[in-house]
Amino acid sequence: MNWLQVILTVVTIGSIFSVVTLALNLQYARGGMINFGVVAYFAAGAYIYAIFTHPAPEGLDQYIIGLDWPWWAGFIAAGIASLLFAVLTGWPTLRLRGEYLAVTTFAFAEVLYSFLLNERRIGNGAVGLSNIERPIRDWGTIDEKYIFAIVAVALMFLTAWIFRKLLNSPYGRALDAIRDDEGAAQAIGKSAKRMRLQVFLLSAIPIGFAGALYAMYMTLVSPRLFTAEVSFIVWIALVLGGERTIWGAMAGTFGLILLEEVITSLPFESVSAAQNAAAMNHVVTGLLFIAVLRWQPFEWISKKLEKK
Amino acid sequence: MTIALKAETKKYQRFFKTMGFCLGIFAMTLVSTMILPMRSAHAEKQVTVGVLVPLTGELGEFGTVVARSIELGVKQINTAGGTTCGKIRLVTRDTHGNPERGIREATKMIESEGAVAVIGPESGVMVALVDLAKRKKTVIMSPYAGTITLNKLGGDFVYRTVSSDLGDGDASGMWLTEKGYKKVAFLVQNEESTISPAQVAKKIVEKSGMKLTDFVIFNPGQPSYQAELISVLAHNPDAIYLAGGQQSGVTVIKEATSGGFAGEWLFTADLAVPEVFDNVGAEHINGRAYVEFADADRSLPEFKAFEKLYREEEGKEPGPFASNSFDMINLVALAIEASGQCSGSGINSAIRDVADGGSVVTTFAEGKAALAKGMNINFEGASGPLKFDKSGGVSGAYSIQAAKNGKWANEKFYPASVFKN
Repeated sequence: MNWLQVILTVVTIGSIFSVVTLALNLQYARGGMINFGVVAYFAAGAYIYAIFTHPAPEGLDQYIIGLDWPWWAGFIAAGIASLLFAVLTGWPTLRLRGEYLAVTTFAFAEVLYSFLLNERRIGNGAVGLSNIERPIRDWGTIDEKYIFAIVAVALMFLTAWIFRKLLNSPYGRALDAIRDDEGAAQAIGKSAKRMRLQVFLLSAIPIGFAGALYAMYMTLVSPRLFTAEVSFIVWIALVLGGERTIWGAMAGTFGLILLEEVITSLPFESVSAAQNAAAMNHVVTGLLFIAVLRWQPFEWISKKLEKK
Repeated sequence: MTIALKAETKKYQRFFKTMGFCLGIFAMTLVSTMILPMRSAHAEKQVTVGVLVPLTGELGEFGTVVARSIELGVKQINTAGGTTCGKIRLVTRDTHGNPERGIREATKMIESEGAVAVIGPESGVMVALVDLAKRKKTVIMSPYAGTITLNKLGGDFVYRTVSSDLGDGDASGMWLTEKGYKKVAFLVQNEESTISPAQVAKKIVEKSGMKLTDFVIFNPGQPSYQAELISVLAHNPDAIYLAGGQQSGVTVIKEATSGGFAGEWLFTADLAVPEVFDNVGAEHINGRAYVEFADADRSLPEFKAFEKLYREEEGKEPGPFASNSFDMINLVALAIEASGQCSGSGINSAIRDVADGGSVVTTFAEGKAALAKGMNINFEGASGPLKFDKSGGVSGAYSIQAAKNGKWANEKFYPASVFKN
C-alpha cells in the first residue's frame, strides 16, 4: 500500500466533502434545518462549472450548451448556481420544519438527479460530460496532485474560517437563540424565517465551489456521481464528528474517507481475492461504523481541537 | 483529573483495539488468496497491469468473465517467459459500476502500484478515465465498452478490442428485419451503452416498414417496471427489443411475462449470460428469446484454440467478450515487447503496430519470437483481426443466439464485412 497516495486522496476528497459537511453543520446544528438534499447544491455547482468550461457540442454530443469559458468564470458561476438553486428550493420550503423539510429537500435533490439523468440536452444524460477543464497542472517539479490537495484544503479552511467568524459574531448568537427558543428570539425582534433563509443561502455557496472543485478533480460530471448516497455520506460524517463543532464536521469527514480508502487500498492480484474483498468491504465498513459510533473518537478529537 | 484522563485513554484504547480487530478479520480473510502472489511479486522483475472491472452490480457477471480471461492470458504470457519488462503482475479491483470509484481505483493502480495499463472497464468508467489516461500517460483498454462517446475521445492511450455500439444497433436492426415481425416495441435502459445502439436499430426498423409501437426509456434500479410496460403490452407487439441490465432486464422480462406478453424477445449483450435462465426461469424464454452481442468468428482456428484453453482452465464455455479480453492482454504484452519500454507511453507507441502490418502471429509466444528476430508483427487473436481505427476501436462481428433448453445457442453470425461503419 502506498500510504502517501492514500493520504493525498484522503486529504483531497476529504477536504472537498468537508466543505459540504461544514455547510450542513451550519444549516442543521446551528440553523436547525434538516437538509437531506445537500447533494443537489453540490451537483448544481459541478454541472454549471462543466457547462461554463466545456467546448460547444460537436458530432455525437447531445448537450446543447458548452460555453468554453475560462475555469475561473466557471468556478464563480458554480457558487452562484448553487446559491440560485438554494433560493429556488429554500424560499418555498423553509417554512417547513423537521422531517417535513428533510423529505422536501430530499425530493428536490431527486428531481434534480432525475432531470440530469433524463434531459440529455443539459449534460449528455446518463453518460455525463467528460474531460472537464482541469486548470491545476504541475508547478515545475511539483506534481498536480499535491497542488490539488493544497487547493482543496485551502477551500476547506476558508469555508471553516468564514463560518467560524459568522457563528462567533452577534449574528451567530442570534442564530443560536432562534434554534434554542424561536418564540423568545422572535419576541426580541429576530426574524426566524429570514435568518434561516439567509443561512441556507450562505451555506449553499461553498457547496457550489466544492462541486466545481470535485468536477475538476474527477474531470467528469455524471448523474451517478451525485446520487442520494452523497447526502448520506455527508450526514454520516456529521454524526461521526459530532454536530455543532467546525472541527467535528471536518474530523468526521476525514475519518470516513480514511476508513473507505484504507479498506479499498489493498492490492489484489487475483480475481477471487478482489471478489472476496468486494464482498467483505461492506461488512468491514459496517463493523467499523459500529465501533466508531460506540466510542465516537472523532467527536473526542474535535472537542480537543475546539478547546485549543 | 488524572482519573478522568485515564478513563478517556482506556476508552480510546478499546476503540483502537476494536478497529484493529475489524481490520484483522479483513486481512485474514484475504491473506490466503494474497500471500502467494505477494511473495512471488517481490521475487522477480515484473510489470504491473491493472484489471479494473465491475465484479458487483449490473455488469458483475461480465466483469468476472473479463477478469478470468485476462488471467488466462497472463498465465500463457508468463509461461512463455513474460515480457522484456518481466512477468506480468495483475492488480484487480472492482469498479462497482461507478465512474467515481473507477477513477479512484485507477489512480491507485497507476500511482501506488505502478500500473502501465489499466484494462477491463465498462463504458461509463472508460469515458471517466479518458482524461486520467492521457494525463498519466497510461493506456486504458476495454473489451466491451462500445459507447459511441469513445468514437470521439478514443485513439491516444484509449483503446478497445470491441467495435462501437453502432455495430450492435446495426446487427439488432438486421435481425428484427429478417425475422419479419410486423410490430416491435423497444424498451431501453437509460444508459449511453444501451440508448445509442437502440437508436441505430430503431432507424433500421422504421426504414424496413415495420411498425414501432413504443420506444420507452426506463431508469435502472426501480422495484417495478409495470408503468413502462402498460403501453407496450397494450399494443401487443410481435417482439420486444430489450436493452437492459442484468438486474433491471430480468425484472422487465418477469413482469412482461406475468402481464401476458406472448411474443418474442431480442435482448442486447448485457443479458447474454447463462444466469438469465435461472433468474427469469428458463421456461419463460426458451424458444422465444434471442440475444445479440459482439462476438468472435467461432470458426477461426485462433478462437477454437482459445475455446479449448478456456474449457480446460475454467471448465465451461467462454462467456461474452472472453476472447476480446484475452486478446487485450496479449496486445498489451506484445506492445511492451515491441517498444522495449516498461511504460504506458511505450505501449501506446507500439500497440497499433503489433496489431496490424506485419507477419501474422496468433499467440504471445509467436509474437515474441518474431519481434526478437526484428520482424514486424500482425497479431490476430481469438476475437479476430484487430486493426485499430482512428478512435482506438476495431471493426467487429456479431452473433445472435437463441434460448434453447435453458442455454444460449448460436443462431446467426454477422461477420464484420456485413457492416458499413
